Amino acid sequence: MAIPGTALREPPQVHRLPQSKYIDSVRWLPQQSAFDRHAVLALSDPSSDSSPSLEILSLSSQTLSLTTQCIWNPPSRVSSLRTSQTPTLKPVIAAATFSGSLHLLFTNSIDASLESEVSVPEEGLHVGPVSCVDVLDGGAECVSVGEDGRVNLVSVSGSRLNLRRIFDSHGLVSYTAVKWASPAEFVTGGYGFSLQWWDQRKPGGAVSQFKGDWAEGTTSGIVHSIDIHPSRKHTCLAGGSLGTVFAWDLRWQQKPIILSGVGRGETAAHSACESEVWEVQYDRYTKSTNTGNVSSSRILPAMICSEDGILAVVEQDEEPIELLAEPCAINSFDIDRENPSDVICSLEWESIAILTRP
Amino acid sequence: MPGIASDPRDGSPVSSALVPFSPDARGPAAYPLHHGLKPPISRLAISWGRGNSLRVSFFRRAPADDSDGDEVGGKVLEVRLSSGDGDISDPQSRRIAYGSVSPFALLQSRRNSVASLSKMSSPYHVEWWEYVMEYSKDINSLLGDPKSLPTPVIEDPKGVMQDYNGLLSSTQATVSSKLVDFQKELVTLQIVEDNAKYWEVLSSTLAVGWLDVVVKMLRLHGSYQLDQIGNRETENGLVEAVAVLISKMPRMRPELGSGRLGECYRAKPDFIKAWEKWRAQITKLACSSYWVYCDHHQTREGLGNMLQIMLGNTNSLCTSTCHWIELYIAHFLYIRPLTVPSTEMHAVKTNDHYACIDKSPFGIITDNTEIAPIYLTSCMKQGVGLLEILLSKQPVQHRQILLKIVEICRLNELHSVSSNIMKIAGVYHWKHGRRGSGVYWLQQARDEVRLNRIAQQLFDSVGQSLSDESFKQWEGLIELLGSESKAAGGLEFLHRYRDFKKFLKQVNDGKSTCAAQQAVESLISLMKNPCTPQRFWLPLLYDSLKLLNWQECPLLNVSQTNLLLNKLQELSMARLRPDFIEAELAPQASGSVRLALATNLGRAILEEQ
Repeated sequence: MAIPGTALREPPQVHRLPQSKYIDSVRWLPQQSAFDRHAVLALSDPSSDSSPSLEILSLSSQTLSLTTQCIWNPPSRVSSLRTSQTPTLKPVIAAATFSGSLHLLFTNSIDASLESEVSVPEEGLHVGPVSCVDVLDGGAECVSVGEDGRVNLVSVSGSRLNLRRIFDSHGLVSYTAVKWASPAEFVTGGYGFSLQWWDQRKPGGAVSQFKGDWAEGTTSGIVHSIDIHPSRKHTCLAGGSLGTVFAWDLRWQQKPIILSGVGRGETAAHSACESEVWEVQYDRYTKSTNTGNVSSSRILPAMICSEDGILAVVEQDEEPIELLAEPCAINSFDIDRENPSDVICSLEWESIAILTRP
Repeated sequence: MPGIASDPRDGSPVSSALVPFSPDARGPAAYPLHHGLKPPISRLAISWGRGNSLRVSFFRRAPADDSDGDEVGGKVLEVRLSSGDGDISDPQSRRIAYGSVSPFALLQSRRNSVASLSKMSSPYHVEWWEYVMEYSKDINSLLGDPKSLPTPVIEDPKGVMQDYNGLLSSTQATVSSKLVDFQKELVTLQIVEDNAKYWEVLSSTLAVGWLDVVVKMLRLHGSYQLDQIGNRETENGLVEAVAVLISKMPRMRPELGSGRLGECYRAKPDFIKAWEKWRAQITKLACSSYWVYCDHHQTREGLGNMLQIMLGNTNSLCTSTCHWIELYIAHFLYIRPLTVPSTEMHAVKTNDHYACIDKSPFGIITDNTEIAPIYLTSCMKQGVGLLEILLSKQPVQHRQILLKIVEICRLNELHSVSSNIMKIAGVYHWKHGRRGSGVYWLQQARDEVRLNRIAQQLFDSVGQSLSDESFKQWEGLIELLGSESKAAGGLEFLHRYRDFKKFLKQVNDGKSTCAAQQAVESLISLMKNPCTPQRFWLPLLYDSLKLLNWQECPLLNVSQTNLLLNKLQELSMARLRPDFIEAELAPQASGSVRLALATNLGRAILEEQ
């Protein structure tokens, strides 16, 4: 397929780094120094269920190789991993597990060594696995959701964690993804391509619901990942089953903007992939090709990774730009917030790929 | 072997062992097993374990008395078959597995394109061998530094074949296994040449180049018997001619072991000359007019096929071999006798990774479902079946793993497997209190039966009415049920019920008669709908008291009121049945509803007049 515009783009440099364990998730660690770069990997051993680990690795800028800096062992496999910074710009790692615990790890901002850990034990937060956790940027507050239908807020005060249950559907509704929109608002996603907008100031339930039944009941899916751009808090970007990437603009409540996947009808050719979209993130590095018309209703370019091995940038009404096409699934990725040209992603076949875009 | 020490027909001693298995040929390794069980061991089972290991199960006889009642009934031991230096760690073996997929996928796609281009029934073609070589090279490099191999020629296909037998599981036939089977049968056969298996085994054995075995077997042909030779002269001549041709097959090698047939040539030109001559003789025999005088149909066909094998007819070679490795050998014996299948072959052979090529790579697939489909779907006979079993065995608890499995099913068009897995997941989530997830997966699996069943349980928890607080919780589930086009079983009732509750709430919030009209319509449609569970009838009517007693005007017309009265009557009849579920309502509920309906009926009659 000829993709207009891509001919001008140079392909990214790709470095593949085989690991000896399965990578459940990968994130960049926010940096203070431009010289030291670190990545966090949640690992598990496919040959034995024991000893999952969380490893902080330093990335050598010359050789682009990863060296383990420190290892921390969670009680079970990590189901969701996020990184952020505290108000004092200390890197923080939030790791939620399949057994239902949540751990916040604070690292040294110079050498990324582990300084302290606070956690909510199993059963305190969720019944069963934590589906997703998100850390509020610049503030050590987390929101966690689970298939058990609970929505929890966990905030750090000193060395303690305060837990507040916002909502409990008692399993009638399961949540699979969550993302902060502002210090008071966040968005959850779940089965049936549903999205819910929550506002802490309005307790008792979601303030707005998006029904994901635009495909007229023929197909349905699950939201796996949500992103919200700081400059467009009214729009929520979601990725999920059947290669679906869509945006929900609160101002046009029930009409999604489909960027990829089902329900596109005549423009189905724009689908970047056709299986599960595991992760979506706005891509600050890719400039919108349609610069003359950057209205606030236009969805900004976003990066996705998928079960069918695609890492691509999708944009409204544009052909997707494929960055990687692997023979195995790409399960997670992260765009470096300091150097948005750099992307790290984890592959099903136990390796990491680091992409440097020109 | 007892019983077949001599041929019963001519009395001359014939060695019954067609396949000379020599136990000390490869220096078998002994693996001491410490099972620690008290004897007697009644049964022993051996199966492939993970990777390069065998699983040996020991069964004790059931204890006759209580004396050793606390003794365990058996034990399973894993025996790792490795020479010590070949030990690779789990991550390494997974790395090899991952790396092997792309070359394999390439090989498969080339195979398909070769097959479609040549429009042949068999994809085995000259280019195909190049591709196999390339694949072998890729795998070889993946396995790491190839050891320098001594005399890399298939000196002894027999030895190689036996190795392969060892590598392959016992479920797939090989030439060797066919031969062994036939040998057992041979004792009972009176006229060997009438048996189709005899000819089949002959051509298979010939295809893999076990010339001495072939010749030995040919001479079992009935036309050699003294009492037959007179009237089967021509036939016997043909059999013998083929046997002689086989024993004179030119081989390019310095010498052959004692008892091995064939004529050795050291130099290539000599060999080529001899080869051409040999082929000319075969062709001449194949075109000979003597065949017309051969009355025995099976002999004519069987010998003809053997000649075709010697002439390198691809179809004959394909049908005579069981496994592609055997075909590979046949190819080098009869089609490209000058090529030396050396290092690549050996590399493939020496590692247990070989087992992945066509056979079920159990070691890998039990570890990684992501890789299994790629290998299993290319295995025509049992692959898909194995894949189905494997996929069905995967855990369904984790959403991500479940979705990965469903995706594999989608790609391989295993719709029934995927629907079964989703049903299992649905029930699992439902049982663990995640009712939304449960409903979702059952809907995805279009499992109306289970949806109907769980609907009954769900209605229990809906209780007598949806309270305002719980409404938010139900809202999401009801949304999930989606539009009516989706499979929802009896659950679609919830959708209507929610709508009715919504209208009723508006009425209670002091909205107009218009909202009340909508609520009544919703009520009537609920009461008319056969999906509405009977136990909800009274709560629905009781919730609607306000509508029935509407001040400004009667909201229900005469026929609507009659419908509701009939329902109420039906309900009081049903109450007599033992399985009736009484709604948890105030005792006077039924009475107040009846009174309200009666009042409404009166007003409606007046109105309509």
